[in-house]
Amino acid sequence: MLREFSSTGRDLFGGDADAEVRRQRNTVRTVALVQGDLLQNERSETAGLSARVIRGGVAGFASVADVSEESVKAVLDEAHKNALFLDGQVALGKPRLPAAPRGSFRMAREPGDPEQKKYVEFAREVDAYIVKNCPKLVSRRLRFRADCMEKVLTVSGGTDAHTYLPRCYLYLFFTANTPDGVPVDLYSVVGGYGSFDTLFRDPEAIFPEVDLLYGKLLAKTEGIRPEAGEKTCILGGSLTGMLAHEAVGHTVEADLVLGGSVAGRMLGRVVASPLVSLVDYAHAAFGKPAPLPVYVDDEGTPAVDAEIIRDGILVGYLNNRDTAVRFGMKPQGNARAYSFSDEPLIRMRNTAILPGSSRLSDMIASVEDGYYLTDTNNGQADTTGEFMFGVSMGYEIKNGKLGRALLDTTISGVAFEMLKTVDMVSDTVTWSSSGFCGKKQPMPVGLGGPELRCRLMMGGC
Amino acid sequence: MTSLKELAKICLEKLKAAGADTAQVSLSLSEKREFNIDGGEFSLFRTTFNRNLSLTAFRETRTGRVTLNSFDPDAIEDAVADCMRGVESDKPDPARGIAEKIGEREFKSGEPEPDAEKFFFRTRELKEAIEARFPSIIMEQMINSHNKTERVYADTNDNLYHSVSGCYEVSLMFSAHRDGKSSSFMGCGYDTVDLDTPLLEQGDIARVIGDVEKQIDTVPVTGSFTGTVVIAPDCLGEFLSDSVIGNFASGTSLIDGTSIWRDKLEKQVASENFTLSLSPRDPAILLGQEYTGDGYPAEDFTLIENGILKSFVAGIYVSNKAGCPRSKNTSTYSLVMPAGDKTLDELIAGIDDGLFVYRFSGGQPANNGDFSGVAKNSFRIRNGKIADAVSETMISGNLSEMLRHFEGASSERVNNGYFLLPFAAFSGVTVSGK
Repeated sequence: MLREFSSTGRDLFGGDADAEVRRQRNTVRTVALVQGDLLQNERSETAGLSARVIRGGVAGFASVADVSEESVKAVLDEAHKNALFLDGQVALGKPRLPAAPRGSFRMAREPGDPEQKKYVEFAREVDAYIVKNCPKLVSRRLRFRADCMEKVLTVSGGTDAHTYLPRCYLYLFFTANTPDGVPVDLYSVVGGYGSFDTLFRDPEAIFPEVDLLYGKLLAKTEGIRPEAGEKTCILGGSLTGMLAHEAVGHTVEADLVLGGSVAGRMLGRVVASPLVSLVDYAHAAFGKPAPLPVYVDDEGTPAVDAEIIRDGILVGYLNNRDTAVRFGMKPQGNARAYSFSDEPLIRMRNTAILPGSSRLSDMIASVEDGYYLTDTNNGQADTTGEFMFGVSMGYEIKNGKLGRALLDTTISGVAFEMLKTVDMVSDTVTWSSSGFCGKKQPMPVGLGGPELRCRLMMGGC
Repeated sequence: MTSLKELAKICLEKLKAAGADTAQVSLSLSEKREFNIDGGEFSLFRTTFNRNLSLTAFRETRTGRVTLNSFDPDAIEDAVADCMRGVESDKPDPARGIAEKIGEREFKSGEPEPDAEKFFFRTRELKEAIEARFPSIIMEQMINSHNKTERVYADTNDNLYHSVSGCYEVSLMFSAHRDGKSSSFMGCGYDTVDLDTPLLEQGDIARVIGDVEKQIDTVPVTGSFTGTVVIAPDCLGEFLSDSVIGNFASGTSLIDGTSIWRDKLEKQVASENFTLSLSPRDPAILLGQEYTGDGYPAEDFTLIENGILKSFVAGIYVSNKAGCPRSKNTSTYSLVMPAGDKTLDELIAGIDDGLFVYRFSGGQPANNGDFSGVAKNSFRIRNGKIADAVSETMISGNLSEMLRHFEGASSERVNNGYFLLPFAAFSGVTVSGK
């Protein structure tokens, strides 16, 4: 557990600049089994101290791999020196940032960190079940990853914090051959926010997920290639989450708006069907804890929900303290850093399209000729909103009924055009939180959504 | 102060005392100096100092690994104990091993010592040159940094390697805008040690930025056709490293036997015109692999020669599991391809209908090599000439088949410090639009 600072931000910092100091420790445990062989069995820990000083609209940042109290002044001095250098060179002459509310936030306790052996034994038990019950697999891979970010933050103006963000996931990757001997694969993930001990008490609890994945993969080995072209589709919740994050969420990050994203000319305009609303949740959503709760960001801003699309109209961006001033908005706690040596960037937290009122069964029944796309393995989007997602599992829909499974395919479109075609939204939300968002630094994020009926470009195979 | 070499030896002794029969220790000290431009304005000057210690222990072919960024004696004691607990959690696997005794080696790569003020001058000059020469470009982000690293590797077979490396990294993300319309965003960059030449004149960035300015107005492809695609070096590098080598010639696909090249060693896997090397020690590669994770000094090798697969990318473990020879390095990014005998213009002149692709936004290719995705920042080729920029255009095919339909490489090659690649043409690719 990291020590808290012996001095508060106001004591540490001079009065002529905005500043923050952060102690941070990231831990990762990884176990990977390939065909029963342990390919990775590793624990890593990265800890250090950083400071950022903002002066005249530019930032100086410095970090060291040392969390001691003695290093605080040295790191602050280095950050201050860097800020002075850059301010002296570019002289943007921007005023100080408005003060954020003073406060303090501490999470209750450090999550547990069981030893490596527990992960390995758990994985081996699941692997043994797979060997016994999934005879048609040609390859099986299991991977545990448990990570935790602990941060201690003190700021010149804002909320000091001591927070933890622990996650633990078991990834199952299966490969089987089609009747022609062509390998096809599929994966699923179990886990979420919390530690191994709280999420993985009994290997038997994973067996139904194994059975489900195996069944889907076998259906996929008999799968068909979807027709290329624009089709009526039902986008599964995990794909809707991907859309919310990749194709909408990134375009409304205010730094990307300043960098020329399409959302820069869309604020206040219709960007989606009136059935579509989208929110970046801070720490709670739909009456439950959000998948990866964020309470205070790394600039000391208390985290609150950020409304992005309301009833089809673009109503907000995601900001840090600086961009909030530029756009006349309020910072809502989106400035996040991955490692002690990283500066805070504007990041999403838990981004989701809100549920509607339709039942999935009615949505499927309403499609005469189209596809139900359930799983994704990849997604990319442009600042124009143009997106491409890999679809790793799906089914054809013929005359309102699910048909054959699909082989791997891709879908593409332009988010703010495609979202206008949404005419049914299901009443349940599927969340995922096992991945990392990539934007200079990785970042754990949650993404989710309901099923959407819409028009999409299918890429074929 | 204890040197990295001395500390490595101390860690090895501690691992042996804790019960390891063989062990590896890697240590590093790193420094970064970085300038950021966001939304066209300087935003950040960042300096970071870090260190890393990695311990790998083996006992009766069981293994465990711990990494941390502390050299504190108590932290090292804890890490050694944790590492050995990892060993205890494993089962024996005789495929594991480390390099036999090779001895001591010294390495130096790139330019380890930065000139931060000159680098800032060159960075500001680059920003201003782009603003003046390419007025429609908005620089979403420019991240220019110098990274210096000192490393030591030591193992219980008396191998001891010391390296010092560093270079300047230039990385741009931008798009073009005019009259409320914009291009797709594009990223490009390079590694360099040259601060005497303006940054805009290095790598291929001037060409790329200039072409992105021509991508504001786009024309979608109607219907679909099968044609030839010319792939720009950055995109080619990703195709070859992540998709071709990743899917067919390295790692778990060899271990679990799902690679479709698993029995293709010394057999034809590509057009006889196609040759590709993995060359981390080539002078064009600034920070290439110096030694492998197993402890062998890295050497260059040819992966595919005149279409024949000459090697996999395999360390000791993959080699033993897959039953293939160990490769001379395990770097999958230090790609070097020979230049072709036609200029890029001549290459394009031979294409009736096709695409010139700068960026590919696609899903992970299937195990069998099937791929599909969006051709971004791309142009239609018609009647031997670059025509309109395209939008919402997908390309699909099979990686293995694509290599067999390699039509040639340009005589121009781009050296960005981590690869040396030409523009390359492949026929038989499906291009589809709305």
